[in-house]
Amino acid sequence: MPKLVLITTIAALALGQAAAPEPSYQDLEQAYQALRAKDYDLAIAQFQKALAKLPDRPSIRKDLAYTFLKVGENEAARDQFAEAMKLDPADVNVALEYGFLCYETKQQVNARRVFDRLRKNNATAAQAFENVDRPLREGIARWQAALASQPDNFSGHEELALLAEQREELGLAAEHFEKAWRLRPARRDLLVSLGRAWMQMDRPEEAMAALLAVSRTEEPRIAEQARDLLPQRYPYVYEFERALALDVSNIPLRRELAYLLLQLNQQSQAEAQFQALIEKAPDDLQSTAQLGLMKLARGDKEGALPLLNRVLARGDPALVERVRAALHPPEPKTELKVRGQASITEAKDMAAKSLEKGYLKDALKYLTIAHEGDPADYEVMLKLGWANNMLKDDREAVKWFGEAARSPDAKISAEAAKAYRNLASTLDRFRTTVWVFPTFSTRWHDLFAYAQVKTELRVPGWFVHPYLSVRFTGDSHGAITPGAGLAPQYLSENAATLGIGLATNTWHRATAWVEAGEQMRYRSSLTDTSRMTPDYRGGVTYTRGLGHVMAQGSHGFFGETNDDAVYVSRFDKDTLFYTQNRVGYTFREMEAWGGLHGQIYWNGNLTADVKRQYWANTFETGPGLRFRFERLPSFLFSVNALRGTYVVNQGNPRGANFRDFRVGVWYAFTR
Amino acid sequence: MRLRGSALFLSFTILSAAPRFTFSATSENGNPWPTILSSIGLVPSPPAGAGIVVVPRGANWPVAEWQARVEQGTILVLEGASPLANAFGFKPNPQAKNVAAQSIEDLRSPELRIIWERPVDTVAFAIPANAQVFARERHQQIPLLAGYRRGAGAVLWMAVGPGERGYERFPYLPQALTDLGLDPPFRSGRLWVFFDSAYRSRVDLDYFARRWRAAGMGALHVAAWHYWERGAQNDEYLRQLIDACHRNAIQVYAWLELPHVSEQFWDGHPEWREKTAALQDARLDWRKLVNLTNRGAFQAVSQGVNDLVNRFDWDGVNLAELYFESLEGVDNPARLTPMNDDVRAEFRGVAGFDPLELFNAQSPRFWGKNAEGLKRFLDFRADLARRQQTEWIAQLENIRKTKTHLDLVLTHIDDRFDPSMREKLGADATRVLPLLGTHDFTFLIEDPATIWNLGPQRYPQIASRYAPLTPAQEKLAIDVNVVERYQDVYPTKLQTGAELFQLVHTAALAFPRVALYFENSIGKQDLSLLSSSAALVDKVDQSASKWVIDSKRGAGVPWNVPAQVDGKSWPFASDTTVWLPKGSHTIERAAQPAPLRVLDFNGDLRTAKATASGAEFSYQSGARAMAVLEKKPVKLEIDGLPATPEMAGNVLLLPKGQHLVAVE
Repeated sequence: MPKLVLITTIAALALGQAAAPEPSYQDLEQAYQALRAKDYDLAIAQFQKALAKLPDRPSIRKDLAYTFLKVGENEAARDQFAEAMKLDPADVNVALEYGFLCYETKQQVNARRVFDRLRKNNATAAQAFENVDRPLREGIARWQAALASQPDNFSGHEELALLAEQREELGLAAEHFEKAWRLRPARRDLLVSLGRAWMQMDRPEEAMAALLAVSRTEEPRIAEQARDLLPQRYPYVYEFERALALDVSNIPLRRELAYLLLQLNQQSQAEAQFQALIEKAPDDLQSTAQLGLMKLARGDKEGALPLLNRVLARGDPALVERVRAALHPPEPKTELKVRGQASITEAKDMAAKSLEKGYLKDALKYLTIAHEGDPADYEVMLKLGWANNMLKDDREAVKWFGEAARSPDAKISAEAAKAYRNLASTLDRFRTTVWVFPTFSTRWHDLFAYAQVKTELRVPGWFVHPYLSVRFTGDSHGAITPGAGLAPQYLSENAATLGIGLATNTWHRATAWVEAGEQMRYRSSLTDTSRMTPDYRGGVTYTRGLGHVMAQGSHGFFGETNDDAVYVSRFDKDTLFYTQNRVGYTFREMEAWGGLHGQIYWNGNLTADVKRQYWANTFETGPGLRFRFERLPSFLFSVNALRGTYVVNQGNPRGANFRDFRVGVWYAFTR
Repeated sequence: MRLRGSALFLSFTILSAAPRFTFSATSENGNPWPTILSSIGLVPSPPAGAGIVVVPRGANWPVAEWQARVEQGTILVLEGASPLANAFGFKPNPQAKNVAAQSIEDLRSPELRIIWERPVDTVAFAIPANAQVFARERHQQIPLLAGYRRGAGAVLWMAVGPGERGYERFPYLPQALTDLGLDPPFRSGRLWVFFDSAYRSRVDLDYFARRWRAAGMGALHVAAWHYWERGAQNDEYLRQLIDACHRNAIQVYAWLELPHVSEQFWDGHPEWREKTAALQDARLDWRKLVNLTNRGAFQAVSQGVNDLVNRFDWDGVNLAELYFESLEGVDNPARLTPMNDDVRAEFRGVAGFDPLELFNAQSPRFWGKNAEGLKRFLDFRADLARRQQTEWIAQLENIRKTKTHLDLVLTHIDDRFDPSMREKLGADATRVLPLLGTHDFTFLIEDPATIWNLGPQRYPQIASRYAPLTPAQEKLAIDVNVVERYQDVYPTKLQTGAELFQLVHTAALAFPRVALYFENSIGKQDLSLLSSSAALVDKVDQSASKWVIDSKRGAGVPWNVPAQVDGKSWPFASDTTVWLPKGSHTIERAAQPAPLRVLDFNGDLRTAKATASGAEFSYQSGARAMAVLEKKPVKLEIDGLPATPEMAGNVLLLPKGQHLVAVE
C-alpha cells in the first residue's frame, strides 16, 4: 500500500510539473475507478462527461463503447465505435467492432459495407463479410428459384426484396418490393420500402410517388414512416398525379389532390378527380357532395341532383344541411370547406393581426400554419414573403415571393413578382444598380444630370463588398458668368468618373464607402484644363424614414432624412456634409390614375463643408411634391420650391439668399 | 408512558413511510384507470385512504382539500382541463393553437415511435415551470403528459385521457408515476424469460443476473443450440451464465428448438435437411430444419441432446416448437414442411400418393381441388408432430433418470384460440395435452403471431379453451411474446410500458406461470415495474401498525424493518422486502430479525417460521428451488433427513418437488 501511495504521489507530481492535467482527467479517473468496481452506470456517466470535454478523443469513445457492451447497450456502443471510427479511420479493430455491432443491431447493410471495405487486408473481416453475405446470396438464389416456379408467391417476392436490399442489390430489391406490393396492395409498408430503394437508386421522382402515396394512407404508422422520408415542402400537383398513377386505389391521396385542384381553381381537373373518387369509394359522401355542388355551380343540375340526393339520403346532418342550403339557398351558397378550413382562417386572421401589431415572429408562425393547412393559398405565400423580408430573412422571403408569383390572381402575382425581382437581385453575387437623376433648376436655368452605374460583388458573409462604378455629372450650360470681370463658374464637373470602391453592408441604416478612380472630363475648364484627373472619394450615408413613407399600400404622415458626409479629393480635398430632410403626408394610391402615389412635404436641407467654402454652406427650405406611378415603379418625379441662404458668404459673388424651383425625375433599377 | 410514546412514534413512522399500494378510480364503464393501475400491482380502495387518486373528468372537487392531500402524500391524477387542474397550474392556453395529436414523443425514450391510431384534438396547455414533461406531441412539442412532486405527494396531469384500453396513448404512464415517487408496490419472482446469448455475448453476466432477478425473473430459458457443439470459449460463457443465474436464485433451462439443431449440424449434414414443398432445403427465417423422421438424423440429434444436457448444470429443458412450418400454410409451398423423402414415403405408404402432388397446380391431386387429400395430409402431419413430441419427451425423460432434478417444459403454439395453427403448423394441443397425465412437464402455450395484435384479454380466453382439456391446470403456462408485431398496431410496434404490464398481469391472472419472449426485447425502462405487474395481490389492509396482504401466488412486500408474519418471527425477508406465501397474511414489526434470514427464494413458499437458530419452511418447485441465505448454513435437513447443503455462492439449491426444510 505505501508503495502504491508513493507511485501515485510521484505520478501526480510528475503530472503537475509536466503540464496541467487535461480537463477530463478527473472524469476519466473516476470512470476507470467505477469500471474496476463494476459500477457501469457511473463509469458511463463519467466517460460521457469526459467526452463532453474531449469529444475528439477516440480512446474515450472506445472505452465508453466497451462499457456500454457490459450493460448490453449495443446500439449505444455501436454509435460510439462509429464516432471512434470517424476519428481514427486507420484503426481496423474499431471498424471491425463497429461492423459486428451493426450486424447485431440489425444494420446489416452497414455491417456488410464495413467488412467489405476491410476484407482485402483483414482475414477476420473477410470471414465476417462471408458470414453476412453468404446467407443473403444463398437466400436470393433460393427465392429466385422458388419464384421461377411460382411467380405469384407473395412471400417469395417480399423475402427476395428484403435480402436484395440488405445486399444492396437495389434494382432487384425495388423490382420485388413492387411485385410483392402489386400482389397485396393493402400492404403499403412495401411501398415505403420501394420508395426507400428508389431513393437510394437516385430515382427521386419515382421515390416521391411511392412515398407520397403511402404518406396519405389511413394507416398512421406507415404514413409517418413515409413522411419522414419525404421532403419538407408540400408536394406539387404533378407529384400527386404520379403517386396516383402508382397507387390508383389510394382514396385519401386522390381526395387530397381533388381538394388541392379545387383550391387552385382548376375546377375541371378537380371535378374529374372527385368523379374518380366516388367511383372508387361510393360511400365517400363528402366527396359526393363536393362533386354535386361543383356540378350545380356550373349549371349541370342534371348531373348534380343524383349526387346531392344521395348525400341528402345518407349524409351526416352537417353535410345534409350544407347540401340543402345549396339546393335551396336562403343565402348565397358557399363552397364546401375542406377539412381544417376554420383553423386556416383563424390562422390567417391571427397572422393579419400580428402583422398589424408588428409581432413579426408570431405573424410568421400563423402564416406557416395557414400555409400548412392550405398550401395553395398564394396570398399567404405572399405574406410569408413580406414577413420574412421584414424579419430580414431575404433568402426565405425570395423563396415565398417566387412561389406567390405563380398565383392565378394577377394582383398577387404582380406584387410577388415585383418583390421577387427586387429582392432576388439583392441576393445575387453581382448586383448592378443604375440611377439617373436629371433636374431642371430655375435658379440656374440649367438642366443638370447626375447618374451612376455601379456593379457590386456581394459575397454572402462579407460585410464589405467591392464595386466598379461609372459616375456622370454634367449640365447643359457648362458654365455661367456670375458677373463682369468674374471668371466663369462651372455648375457641374462635366465629367465621367471611373472608379473602383468598397462599400459596407447597411448597418443601422448607415453605409460607408471609399472609392478611387479617374475622372474624365468631356469639357475642360479654365481652372483645370486637364482631361484626366485622379479622383478619390469616400463617405458615410445615413437614411431613415419614419411613419408612412412611400411604399405600396402606405398612406399617412411621414418624415425622412438623408445624410451624407463625403470626402472628395477633387474639391481641394474637402469634406462636405449634406442633410436633406422632409416631413409631410403620403396620399393613398389612386388606382384610376395608373396607381398614382404622391407625397407633399416640407424640405429642410443643410449643406456644410470643412473648408468653409461659400458654395458648400447653404440652407434651403420650402414645400415639395413627389409622386410616382405604381405601374412605373422605377420612376420618381419631384418638384421642389426652395428658399435658400448661404451661411458662409466670404467670397460669395451672389446675394446671400436665393430661390430655386427644381423639377426632377429619379430613375433607378437594380439587376 | 414511554411505551405509549414509542408505539405512537412507530405508527407514525410506518404511516409516513408507507408505500402506496392502493388507488381510487371510478370503475364506471370504459374507465381504463383500474386496469392501468391494477396492472402494476396496485389495489383498489376508497378515495379516503388511497395512495393514488384519479380525479374523474368533470369532477369539481374542493381544491384546498386536495392540495392538502397531495402535500400529505397522495399522487393525484388529472385529465384535461378542470378547476383542480387549474389550481395545480395546468391551464388551457388560449393563445396557442389546438393540436391534433397523433405522433407522440416520450422523453424517456425519444426514439420510440408512438403513434395513436386516431388523432385526438386537444387544446395546448400551459404547465407549471417546475413540472416535468413526460410526453409531448412530436412535431409541435406540446406537452401532453406532465407532473411534479409537491410535498410528500405529486400531481400527474395529462391533456387527454389514456384511452379506452389504457395503453393506447401513453405507454410510459406507469413509469411517469414512478418518476413522481410511486415505488413499485408488490413483487413476484416467478417470471420465465427466453434468452438468446447472441444478443448478450459481451455483457457482464453478474450484472445482468442481478438485474433479471430484480425484475422478477425466476428462470432463464437459454437458447441451447448455440452450445450444441463443444467449444471451450462458448462452453465457458454458458457455465458463467448458469453460475451467475444460480448465484442470484435464477433457474436455467436448456431451450431446444428442434427440428433446428445448430448451424454447424445443418452445414455438416445436407442429407438430413428438411425440405419444403418447393423441394428446397428448409431454411426458414433463422431456423434450419432437420428431418427428424430420418432415423440416422434422430440418433445423431439424440446423442447431441444427451451431450448438451449433461454437459451443463441445467435446471430443466424446454422442448419448444417441435412441429412444422409455416404460418402461411398451404398457400406458400416454398415454406411448407415436412416434405423430406422419409415423410413423403411414409405418407405415400398410408395414403397412396406423394404429398408433393398436393402442391402441383397441374396435378389432379392439387390441394385446391382435393380437399380430402389435403385433409389427409394435414392429419398425418399433425399426428407426426405428436409422435415426434412424444418421442422427444421420452428421450428427455431418459436423461432425467440420471439428472433427476431436471424440469421439463413443452412449448407449444396455441391452436385452440387460433385453430388455423393446426393446418398451418401441424400443432394440435388436443393430441399432446393428454401426455400431462403420464409425463411430468409444463405445457407452455405460445400465443401465435396471428393474434399478437389482440389485447391482453386474449389470455383469459386462451385459458378458458385449455381448462376443459386437462385436469393438470397447475401445469399450464403462457408465453407472452414481446416482439415487433407485423400487424398495424398502436401505439407501439413492440409491447412496452402500460401494454406490457397489462399483458403480463392479465396473463398471470389466467395462468399459473408466465413466460416472456424474450429477454433482449424487454425494454430497460420496463424492468422496474415488471416484477410488480406479475404480482397478484387481491387485498391490502394498511392499518397503523400492521398490514394484511392477501395474494394469489405469494408476493414480495416492501418492508425495511424486522418482520413477524401472522404473529411469528419471519425468516423470509431482506432489508427491503418480506416474502409471503400465497393467501392472507399479517405483517407487523418484530422486535428483532430472524436468526437466519432467507433473503430471496425461488420456489413456491408454503409455510415458514424462524427457529431459535435458523428457519423452517416448506415449498413446492418444478425445478430445483433456490434460497438466498444471509449466511452459509451449518446444518440442513430436508424432509427430516440430514442433507449436505449444495451451494452456489450464498444460494442453497434445494430439490425439486414438495419438501420441508430446516436450516441453521
